[in-house]
Amino acid sequence: MWGGTCTEDSAWASTPAAGKWHLPVYQDFHAFDLSGATRVLEWIGDKGILVAGYESLKKNEILHLILPLRLSVKENQGLFPERDFKVRHGGFSDRSVFDLKYVPDTRLLVTSGLPGCYLQVWQVAEDSDVIKAVSTIDVHEKEGRLWPRMAIFSSAAPGVLHGARLSSLKVVDLESQKTTYSSGISDDELLSSLQVLDADTFAFCCTSGRLGLVDTRQKWTPSENFRPGSGSAGGRWCAEAGGRGPGPSIASLGSDGQLCLLDPRDLCQPVSLVQCPVSMPSPDPELLRVTWAPGLDNCLAISGFDGTVQVYDVTSWGGMGRQVEPLFTHKGHIFLDGNGMDTAPLVTTHTWHPCKPRTLLSAASDASLHVWDWVDLHAAR
Amino acid sequence: MPEIRVTPLGAGQDVGRSCILVSIAGKNVMLDCGMHMGFSDDRRFPDFSYITRSGRLTDFLDCVIISHFHLDHCGALPYFSEMVGYDGPIYMTQPTQAICPILLEDYRKIAVDKKVVEITKHIHDNRALRYVELLPLSGTVQEPQSTSNAFTPPLTHWLLSPCILIPSACETPGTSPLMLVDDELEIKAYYAGHVLGAAMFQIKVGSESVVYTGDYNMTPDRHLGAAWIDKCRPNLLITESTYATTIRDSKRCRERDFLKKVHETVERGGKVLIPVFALGRAQELCILLETFWERMDLKAPIYFSTGLTEKANHYYKLFIPWTNQKIRKTFVQRNMFEFKHVKAFDRAFADSPGPMVVFATPGMLHAGQSLQIFRKWAGNEKNMVIMPGYCVQGTVGHKILSGQRKLEMEGRQVLEVKMQVEYMSFSAHADAKGIMQLVGQAEPENVLLVHGEAKKMEFLKQKIEQEFRVSCYMPANGETVTLPTSPSIPVGISLGLLKRELAQGLLPDSKKPRLLHGTLIMKDSNFRLVSSEQALKELGLAEHQLRFTCRVHLHDTRKEQETAVRVYSHLKSVLKDHCVQHLPDGSVTVESILIQAAAHSEDPGTKVLLVSWTYQDEELGSYLTSLLKKGLPQAS
Repeated sequence: MWGGTCTEDSAWASTPAAGKWHLPVYQDFHAFDLSGATRVLEWIGDKGILVAGYESLKKNEILHLILPLRLSVKENQGLFPERDFKVRHGGFSDRSVFDLKYVPDTRLLVTSGLPGCYLQVWQVAEDSDVIKAVSTIDVHEKEGRLWPRMAIFSSAAPGVLHGARLSSLKVVDLESQKTTYSSGISDDELLSSLQVLDADTFAFCCTSGRLGLVDTRQKWTPSENFRPGSGSAGGRWCAEAGGRGPGPSIASLGSDGQLCLLDPRDLCQPVSLVQCPVSMPSPDPELLRVTWAPGLDNCLAISGFDGTVQVYDVTSWGGMGRQVEPLFTHKGHIFLDGNGMDTAPLVTTHTWHPCKPRTLLSAASDASLHVWDWVDLHAAR
Repeated sequence: MPEIRVTPLGAGQDVGRSCILVSIAGKNVMLDCGMHMGFSDDRRFPDFSYITRSGRLTDFLDCVIISHFHLDHCGALPYFSEMVGYDGPIYMTQPTQAICPILLEDYRKIAVDKKVVEITKHIHDNRALRYVELLPLSGTVQEPQSTSNAFTPPLTHWLLSPCILIPSACETPGTSPLMLVDDELEIKAYYAGHVLGAAMFQIKVGSESVVYTGDYNMTPDRHLGAAWIDKCRPNLLITESTYATTIRDSKRCRERDFLKKVHETVERGGKVLIPVFALGRAQELCILLETFWERMDLKAPIYFSTGLTEKANHYYKLFIPWTNQKIRKTFVQRNMFEFKHVKAFDRAFADSPGPMVVFATPGMLHAGQSLQIFRKWAGNEKNMVIMPGYCVQGTVGHKILSGQRKLEMEGRQVLEVKMQVEYMSFSAHADAKGIMQLVGQAEPENVLLVHGEAKKMEFLKQKIEQEFRVSCYMPANGETVTLPTSPSIPVGISLGLLKRELAQGLLPDSKKPRLLHGTLIMKDSNFRLVSSEQALKELGLAEHQLRFTCRVHLHDTRKEQETAVRVYSHLKSVLKDHCVQHLPDGSVTVESILIQAAAHSEDPGTKVLLVSWTYQDEELGSYLTSLLKKGLPQAS
């Protein structure tokens, strides 16, 4: 049944502040269908994103999409601003792509996936619309099921930080393929995420929830959170650093819906530990994502539990064990799922727009891709 | 080599000006004849010199096919027929024929200036047709001046005769019946969605066929169904690549955006102006607003300007068979095009206070009612104008979309535009996904994309080639693509010939090739394979036989009768697949080849074998000769 902006909006999203039912809760909403689902949403500049398929046993597409003109700042919209994505470049991958990183200031991409434990380097053509595989980076990992996580050290000589385990963490120079850094430890804990913080520092998060900050100029002595046996939280964890504004800037998310906020200066003392209202445990903990909003203070988003993306304002969160409510929940992937699939789609990844404070992109297992700009009804009051 | 040749016409690589020339099995067809909306000089027409160079146009082209009424597909038709001189058959669907002239008339008003050049030409049946030369605007918008030479005949008269209408492909999925252009060329139309009366065409000559999609939409509309094609497996599928690199925003989100803007404006007491073309999207938006108003229980009035109501709704009612199932069902109970909340507009209403929504023509705000209303409402920032489509340069629509907020009107009056200006496109084209779907449905051997830059489409080309295992071509305008084809030619074989072959002896082995001698008679487009005697009889010629004789010398001291027996035994054992016989007169036959043994005139120790065969048995004859030359095995 089709009809009102607001009755639709209130089905597509929910926010505790939406008292009056006819208040629109999205400033803008775009819904797209990709030819294949993606687990990757990587920005190229602020106008383009990269997506890649992860199906096994078939050719997957890697696409460089230009955002709909409508989303550009008003002046740049042009005469006929369309609401559609434009496929600017495309390429084919024989493997599933689970992670993709763009190397800033170059035309290179690096992907990680299965089968085969190696990283694939791609080049985005300048004079045509093709993304071509150019070289590979070997990763020595015996266990076939594991795929290495990645992060890029961007500099005049960019390097790829990668590893599936703490013991295999390395930085490889992209051009010379020489290893410029090695963790050099024997601890073989599994990694769930890697993040470059500056020219010399990176953060890691293990599946167990153990996380640390590493200075590559020194021998392995990360500042870490301790996880003594009794206090160890079960499940699988991921993390992201980068909160804006005063307060903790590292967030760690567990597959049981626990969200932990940490201050990088003292990782051993979490600032707060809350329980998010999510269906748990996550059906696929590898898809867990927690991201900080680059344009808002103390704001983060989580996904990977179901077909929703939840946005939280973490200001004045303190203490342990409290229940929290999301500021906004995007339910579009469930509501717009017209495929009649037996299982509801699962959000595979999400990302914030680098410039527009409340715009997010989210992708789901049914190959849908949404771009949405939510209205902060608290602020509107 | 039989081949299909395709040449997209037109100068430049911009969108618009669809016009494709196809040569298939000796037939020449022009697909669409569009005009480029962005130019006002000759660049707006396709480059017809490509065809006219080779003589009279009507002789060269077997027919012209028009896919739908959008001007970038049919806008150059009057020019083509009037100025270039084509007067052969033109095929289009009924709605296309009815609506084309209206859009052309709409467009004509854009470029009217003080200098209006008219070219009158009488065509062969002496109907006077007028073609108005379009000139660019010089910064002012004027109502067309009526002069004594003004365009007065009914709009439909611009069309040439004969103009053949394709019976409706109304059911979704739908195809028209097969139409015969002549006894070799057939065309068939498929439902394309997109706009009322739009069709995709299959052009077939013998076993070769080409499918041209025109513009189509793979997702159903509010008032139209979705395009559909069967597994017709053409040699070639021609489709536009303009939107092939696009991933479309969902219809729901686009509609949501539109309704949100309208709702917000109306809620704050503002007025919404939606300039529309005479037909097309207007109906879609009306249905949308009607449904929304009903659900939200809104009271603000929605108006349709009278021009629209008369022409447009009349046509839509007429062509209800071309709309989708749902509309047709509703039509039975309640005419979907008779709205509850949407009323006919009166000029006076524009001055009424309070919120309202008005649909008015023309679509680019270049003249007429929509412009009048715009001038009244432009000064109030509470109001909004929503441009629902492409605006040609020079029109007010184009100017305000480009950000101009002070417009010079006639009499040097300056209009300050404070109202909100929005652009919302509802054009329904198939995107990347839709194109792949259609190719998957039709299963062509080859795909050809027009209107794209080849370099920018390398990925799409690879995608199509990989997914469907076909070749994908992307010619530039004026460039010809040649596709070799292997046509199948049916040949009838005479019963007499077949029977004779069977009587020859051994039954044919289905796994081995069998050589058959006959004569191929080609008359008109008929092929027959008959026996030589039959052919000669039909031609009234006498039969001549060609026989070869070869002498093989054998060393054999016995009598010639015994030599013959030796030859017979030897050949019988070697040639197991052939019929070897020993005749009472001593000669040996292998099928129809005769071998006779004779004594050498001078040398009693040598026997001479005369091997004689007809022209038809050349192969076997030569083989036998070499075999015999090797000598006979010793008698046991």
